Amino acid sequence: MRLLVLLLLLTGGYANAHQFTPTYPKLEISHMPGIMKADMVLFNDRAEINYYGINVFDEKWNPVRFATQNKIVPINYKERKYITIYLSGTGIKNAKYICSKSKILMTVTKPSIVSSRICSKLK
Amino acid sequence: MKKLLLIPILAATANVAGASIPINGFIESKCVIQSDTPGMFGNPTVDKLSTKSADGGVMPIIRYDIVTASKYKAVITTPTDFSSSPNLSDSVEWTSTTVAGQMSDSEMSVFNTDKAIYNNGHTTEFDLVKAGSVWFNVTSEAEYGYGKAFPSGNYTALIVAECIAK
Repeated sequence: MRLLVLLLLLTGGYANAHQFTPTYPKLEISHMPGIMKADMVLFNDRAEINYYGINVFDEKWNPVRFATQNKIVPINYKERKYITIYLSGTGIKNAKYICSKSKILMTVTKPSIVSSRICSKLK
Repeated sequence: MKKLLLIPILAATANVAGASIPINGFIESKCVIQSDTPGMFGNPTVDKLSTKSADGGVMPIIRYDIVTASKYKAVITTPTDFSSSPNLSDSVEWTSTTVAGQMSDSEMSVFNTDKAIYNNGHTTEFDLVKAGSVWFNVTSEAEYGYGKAFPSGNYTALIVAECIAK
């Protein structure tokens, strides 16, 4: 059974999945002085979702200021996007979680819908 | 002439070399959230909307795939409000349950025994201490006013499924 699950994971056999990796990103020096960056990968396998919001939080889940190309990431179905998060000043010290959350358009009107959020942890 | 004879031999060799293309794979720790069944409200009585099959609804099912054990916790929050609905003049009382149903490993039953429930029963937290796939079943019920009839229209509610790295 475990082998089957592993095969499914390897072959990407998901119908409506959201992935955000790595689990434990590391802050690295960016090309700008005093700015650190973390590289993340977002994969959208949810056909009904075209946008994901990116947020950074501290240990107590207070929002932390950060910069990235798009805080709301437009992404197509089955598309993989590489996202760089930039942090400066106290953000470097305080940032603990980097999260991606599916954004559901008002036009999606299934009677019950699932919003997914995955948070990676800076160590 | 000898050079001309060499061309097909070289071409054939090139084809053989081209056939051995490596496929690289890398397994990393990750949590994948899959909306397996979106769910649907049934309307068993005029004042009630419910995802229970006994009430004519469809239970939302969320699948989590966990590659490495003990790296993530799952947090599932059930609705306490409609994200879209007709105008409601009275209060709505929400009740819900979230349980790990189908699982790829029987040892995952520990998810249910060790789960934590808070936020007036609307948020359930599971420590994902086993790797594999698990399907979380969510029931959600909304009751309007004191036996008041829900106005006709389309009702949408949102379940938030989270995977938080530990």
